[in-house]
Amino acid sequence: MNRNMTREQRKLAYELITNPPHGSKLAEAKEWGVDLTLLFENLKLTPTERALKLEQGARALHELRTAGVKHRANS
Amino acid sequence: MKLEETLRVLYDERVEFVLIGGAAMQLQGSARLTEDLDFCYARSRKNIDRLARALKGYRPRLRNAPEDLPFRFDAETIQRGLNFTLLTDLGALDFLGEVSGLGGYEAVKAAADKMPIYGIEHLVLSISGLIKAKQAAGREKDMDAIKELRGLLDLRKKTGI
Repeated sequence: MNRNMTREQRKLAYELITNPPHGSKLAEAKEWGVDLTLLFENLKLTPTERALKLEQGARALHELRTAGVKHRANS
Repeated sequence: MKLEETLRVLYDERVEFVLIGGAAMQLQGSARLTEDLDFCYARSRKNIDRLARALKGYRPRLRNAPEDLPFRFDAETIQRGLNFTLLTDLGALDFLGEVSGLGGYEAVKAAADKMPIYGIEHLVLSISGLIKAKQAAGREKDMDAIKELRGLLDLRKKTGI
């Protein structure tokens, strides 16, 4: 958990992702289909926690890809 | 992908590098997944020697090239080339001498943030730097990433996170 984030920052970030100001880059991202809640969740983490998440995600992606290749080979 | 081990291996050999690409995006807060690690490395002779030494024990070979294609990731090869897309025992690793939109190592370093990862400070390309690189690459598939990065930058600026 990112202990450098204050309660006020957390509250403000939550408000911004829930209701991004009209015309802002945040609003533009949301309209484009970016899930802002995922960004907020990541910002709550320390860089090392993000690194661990990155490694886990890469592993999962690799396993999915391998399973897909096997499935295609068997069908 | 073995991020911790890769960073350790490069750090132990004192390789000058900046983490860029998808991994840098995630470390900056992006939610996008990536399978490879991209680095921009300094093109000095000393650093090239260090990079070759760092990866020596990890069977670096060219990605998507025939297995029997002769290739040695040594200082001479690195000196002659610029960008390398490798498959190693540490996973898929890309080493770029230049990053589009930014330039060589010094320019990329100037656009990087220091970040403590696994107890060691590393240079990670900043959100603004990532946006510049993605814009310069001009690929259609990067538009999603650019939108996300701009939103992320906006969120961080407004909250000071």
